[in-house]
Amino acid sequence: MSARNNRASIRDALYEAPGPRTRRRMHVATAVSAVLVLMGIAAIVRQFYVTGQLAPRYWSFLTRPTTWAFLLQGFRGTVSVALVAGAIALVLGLLLMLGRMSSIRALSAACRGVIDFFRGVPSLLLIYFFFLVVPQYGIKLSSFWMITLPVALAASGVLAEVLRAGVNAVPAGQVEAARSIGMRPAQIMRTVILPQAVHFVIPSLISQLVVVVKDTTVAYVVSYPDLMQNARVLITNYDALVSMYLTVALVYILLNYAINKLSGIVARRMGVTIVR
Amino acid sequence: MTQHTEQDTPVIELRHVDKHFGDLHVLRDINLSVARGEVLVVIGPSGSGKSTMCRTINRLETIDSGEVLIEGVPLPEEGRELAAMRAELGMVFQSFNLFAHKTILENVTLGPIEVLGQDRASAEKTARELLARVGVAEQADKVPAQLSGGQQQRVAIARSLAMRPKAMMFDEPTSALDPEMINEVLDVMVELARGGMTMVVVTHEMGFARRVADRVVFMADGRIVEEGTPDEFFDHPKTDRAREFLDSIKGH
Repeated sequence: MSARNNRASIRDALYEAPGPRTRRRMHVATAVSAVLVLMGIAAIVRQFYVTGQLAPRYWSFLTRPTTWAFLLQGFRGTVSVALVAGAIALVLGLLLMLGRMSSIRALSAACRGVIDFFRGVPSLLLIYFFFLVVPQYGIKLSSFWMITLPVALAASGVLAEVLRAGVNAVPAGQVEAARSIGMRPAQIMRTVILPQAVHFVIPSLISQLVVVVKDTTVAYVVSYPDLMQNARVLITNYDALVSMYLTVALVYILLNYAINKLSGIVARRMGVTIVR
Repeated sequence: MTQHTEQDTPVIELRHVDKHFGDLHVLRDINLSVARGEVLVVIGPSGSGKSTMCRTINRLETIDSGEVLIEGVPLPEEGRELAAMRAELGMVFQSFNLFAHKTILENVTLGPIEVLGQDRASAEKTARELLARVGVAEQADKVPAQLSGGQQQRVAIARSLAMRPKAMMFDEPTSALDPEMINEVLDVMVELARGGMTMVVVTHEMGFARRVADRVVFMADGRIVEEGTPDEFFDHPKTDRAREFLDSIKGH
């Protein structure tokens, strides 16, 4: 299919097929960088050893089931915040995009303002707003919503722009064809433009979920028990900073790796080619 | 409307149509009428405004002044009324413009279901008949990208036909095709013409024009320079501009 050909041609333009000299150079460079990476890792491990971070007392608590139960509870918190925030952001982002693309000037300008605001403001600032300002007006939010809403709002601005890029990528001929058979603008948006636009940006949408997951780590601000918050509790309990952070980092990496893998699978199912 | 006026009123009529693209005057005082069942072929050098004129008929291009009438009724400028009028006019594009995310069958049923409110089963039945008629029945479940250009264009024709149009516009329908696929599309168009479809065809296919057209319109620099029967036009062009054009495409 044409998308596949495109990708091949981009690669070809960037890298010519290597000749014998280039191949030799590539082998040498690969070996040298492998040695450098191994040396780096060795240096880090050695430093940990020298400073006593590898001592069993810093790691033994990881063998206790209670540790993992507590981390799992945090993991569940992280996942539920990320999923709910992602869902809200997707719906809100879609609405903001539709508003932004409306032919009604005032609506378009307003949505543009909202999008730029949420994109421009750090999510931590939004969290403080929901944590410190909103309650002053008598609105009681649970800590779950205090983290979920700001994370969702911050992501919605970005998602609106991602979706808009997708809409703009739909060729004008598609809309003309739909018009020529008498379809109305809302029908065209629903049946012709949006399905193709979403199709184009699915990889970006799912990458954005990774950003949402990482945004949830500031949940400690509102004392919501997510993975990070629970890790902090364990750190205080066992006085095990490095070991705990390394473990949690690994969990986040695995989670986000899984999300990226998922995006690849979804994209392939839908026939989208991801250019990496 | 009485039977009499329905016979006499042109299906498509353009009166004093003018259009600018910025400083460029693309359509200059275009007057044209297409009778029921007539096949009108529009030819002319590139940039002569023939595609633009074709696209003003269903308002894919707006006009600056003048009038477009469909069966004597002014073409609405917007909204539900415009959409309803477009639904009655078929359009086939140079680049096919099949809905890329839908199957061939869905491409043909989308209009009837969404616009005409037909139920899926009967829309699919009609669609399969139309796909068979243009010779791509066995492609029904594929997506457009899996079809050759010629097949895609025939599907596009079926998509238009599914709306049971009063007239069809063809905007250079074979210009984006590989040479060996041009005839399979032209054959379908010849069939349509024989069946009595009212057609406006912008094309560079002189053979088709000569064989199928009831009338040829020659455009240059945004004007209709000359019009007549194919024999008149191709054998005895009246204007220097037309003669020049015909000479320039001859002899290969």
